[in-house]
Amino acid sequence: MLRFIGRRIVTGVGLIATLATLTFFLLQFGSTDTARRIAGQSATEDAVQVVEERLGLDQPVLVRFWDWVVAALHGDFGLSWFSGQDVLEAVTTRMQVTVTLAVGSVFLTAIIAIVLGAYAATRRGWPDRAVQILSVIGQAIPGFLVALVLVLVFAIQLDWFPATGYTKPSDSVPEWLLSITLPVIALTIGSIGGVAQQVRGSMLDAFERDYVRTLRSRGLAHRSVVYKHVLRNAAGPALSILGLQFVILLGGAVIVETLFSIPGLGPLALSSTSNGDIPVVMGIVVITGVIVIIVNTLVDVAQAWVNPKVRLS
Amino acid sequence: MLRTAKFGALVGVAALALAACSSGGTDDSTASSDSSSSATAAEGRAEQLTIGAVVDVSTWSAQDAAWGNTATYMMAVYDTLLRQNADGTIEAGLATDWSYDDSMTVLTLTLRDDVTFTDGSALDADLVVENLTRFQNGASENSGNLSSIDSVTAVDATTVEIALSAPDPALLSYLAQNSGLIEAESAFDSADIQTVPVGSGPYVLDADSSTIGSSYTFTANDDYWDPDSQHYDTIVINYYADANALLNALRDSQVDIANLNSTSQIPDAESAGYTINTQTLNWKGLILADRWGVVDEALADVRVRQAINYALDREGLLAGIESGYGEVTTQIFGTGTTAYEEDLDSYYTYDVDKAKELLTEAGYPDGITITMPLSSFVPESEAQLIAGNLAEAGITVNYETAGESFISDLLGGKWAAFEFGLNQESESWATYKLSVSVDSAWNIYHQSTDELDALADRMRMGGEDGDAAAQEMNEYLVENAWFAPFYRVEGVIVTNDATSVTLKNGQAVSNLWDIVPTA
Repeated sequence: MLRFIGRRIVTGVGLIATLATLTFFLLQFGSTDTARRIAGQSATEDAVQVVEERLGLDQPVLVRFWDWVVAALHGDFGLSWFSGQDVLEAVTTRMQVTVTLAVGSVFLTAIIAIVLGAYAATRRGWPDRAVQILSVIGQAIPGFLVALVLVLVFAIQLDWFPATGYTKPSDSVPEWLLSITLPVIALTIGSIGGVAQQVRGSMLDAFERDYVRTLRSRGLAHRSVVYKHVLRNAAGPALSILGLQFVILLGGAVIVETLFSIPGLGPLALSSTSNGDIPVVMGIVVITGVIVIIVNTLVDVAQAWVNPKVRLS
Repeated sequence: MLRTAKFGALVGVAALALAACSSGGTDDSTASSDSSSSATAAEGRAEQLTIGAVVDVSTWSAQDAAWGNTATYMMAVYDTLLRQNADGTIEAGLATDWSYDDSMTVLTLTLRDDVTFTDGSALDADLVVENLTRFQNGASENSGNLSSIDSVTAVDATTVEIALSAPDPALLSYLAQNSGLIEAESAFDSADIQTVPVGSGPYVLDADSSTIGSSYTFTANDDYWDPDSQHYDTIVINYYADANALLNALRDSQVDIANLNSTSQIPDAESAGYTINTQTLNWKGLILADRWGVVDEALADVRVRQAINYALDREGLLAGIESGYGEVTTQIFGTGTTAYEEDLDSYYTYDVDKAKELLTEAGYPDGITITMPLSSFVPESEAQLIAGNLAEAGITVNYETAGESFISDLLGGKWAAFEFGLNQESESWATYKLSVSVDSAWNIYHQSTDELDALADRMRMGGEDGDAAAQEMNEYLVENAWFAPFYRVEGVIVTNDATSVTLKNGQAVSNLWDIVPTA
């Protein structure tokens, strides 16, 4: 196990180094207006030049990249070119919000999808078809549309939740829950379908296995066969897709966070990318990369735990 | 393990469900997100004002501060040397008195002696000198605004003398905006200068309750020298990066006052119960930048530029692009300026035949082709409308997709003509400085004429002759078709029943002290 985790860390470091290098050089193509944006549309050319020098944009790109790498290795991701905020602080603060939404959504997805998938696989017939149709519809509806409808119905018509905004849990836990409920549901609806289908398919596969026939022939109750053995065996693939779903949700949260005006990573990623705020974009890419690698490793470990037949290698 | 996970899941669902249920019956549960302007007896101020902003504050450093939509943030935490009232008149700010000498090149300011900053330091003339000098040497718009200043001197603790290289009629306005913001000396070398303002303004930023890029909370400054301008105990500015998010916030009554992103949101805001306050702000149209034919020879001929003006169906464009909200015009000077002439709003009527005739006279009987950029400023549908107008007169627009360096390319002279919207400043001189003067960023090729220079020299001196010169300059620019304005765009500020606002001439946002509780 430890060797596996060690290998994952080494691979992860290589992956992040590659990701950071590619991102840095790709950003160079689109950042030529950054100094102008900071100085203002009506600023003189001299003023723009001063900003370029201040940001180091007058240095060769390789020098800038090397400076960034050296500083990042010391844990210094620099300051945002626009807000002046410490990048590490800005990204980690906002990452907490986004991860909260993503974890909440994965959690909700897991429960609903496992229930629906198991129900469809065990009942077959019209419940199965109904679950499949609902899954497809859920996946087909764009996330922003779901978010807009949720706001219109549950925030504006029924006034159950705030339409926009975010309350920190340190300020008020009930209001924090209220502020994340609609965004979490908006993120969840699109991801239930895929996971439910995966659970259904895995369970149907398991039902065909010899060990299930053997268990049944030994007189085990249907409920025990399904929930103790079949579901457990089907959990592996479901865990894989949930892990993947978490990574997708980190990206999907961009739209939902923007629509709900939630200070997560999404709006920061959008604004820093369009402004050419390279330190912030680099911070987001590296820290998100680290989280994705950690999640994938945890999913692999969890799979081995759930199903001893899976050996980490 | 699965059992444990299931239990955790149930707890999570139950928590969400409880949270949802608890919100169902009462308004209290969403009180923090709902706007609340209920007046409190204490100090005669209302409790809280929640502002919906469409632009985020990019920096808290006074030296680098912008104005426009970010003025609200700055007015909360900083004072300006002078103040500009809603109607454009200059009033006392940190300076109680101000006067020019006879040559209009020395401005003397007398400062208040009872102003303290949030770090406990006091205002004096030396600090004002340091601030203005930093602005001049900085790299923001402040540097350009103060370019006419030769030197700034502290005569005594409360007197500052500003010597100018030439009269600058817009200087007082600039000192009432971002170029007049004064920050404490401790901010100059602070590592947090961009995120922690050290001002003397009516409110203090509560960093713990704020989230950069999302929401900012300000509490009333108890030691403020002008308590009459503090109408609220707390001000919250929520930034909405997305137009739909702002609309949803309005529908859910989460803000007391907000700028709208566009006039198309007016019906939704009205149906949410908000009062609509509008005034014309920017002018939108074509900047016919290449008046000397640097990259497009045809535009050097005034008849070609006039033809473009005649080819535009301004009423149609206003209806098609702005749903009719706005006022058609052919001049760039705002209605509140001394240069404004009502007749110049309709100098060029929609006349395709006249446009063709002018093109033929200019030697282009088969029409011309001009290349213009297509950018985020110009949606495809809008570009097609404009191109359709011009095509009828034989002017083909070749749209070129602008890259990430759009503004730099634009100001660098890549395109001879382009669509843009520029602010209609509250003063004629400021409009001249922004759009016409030879060193203006928007005079793309930095060229002028003897007539314009002579008119500018007269405008500098102000008075009746200065006003007359401003009108003559306006006429000159319209007749010589330096621009092809379509219309003046309406800026919209919406307010709920508990809030009233006095709009500020030529500014996207009102003065903070002009937002008051109605109760």
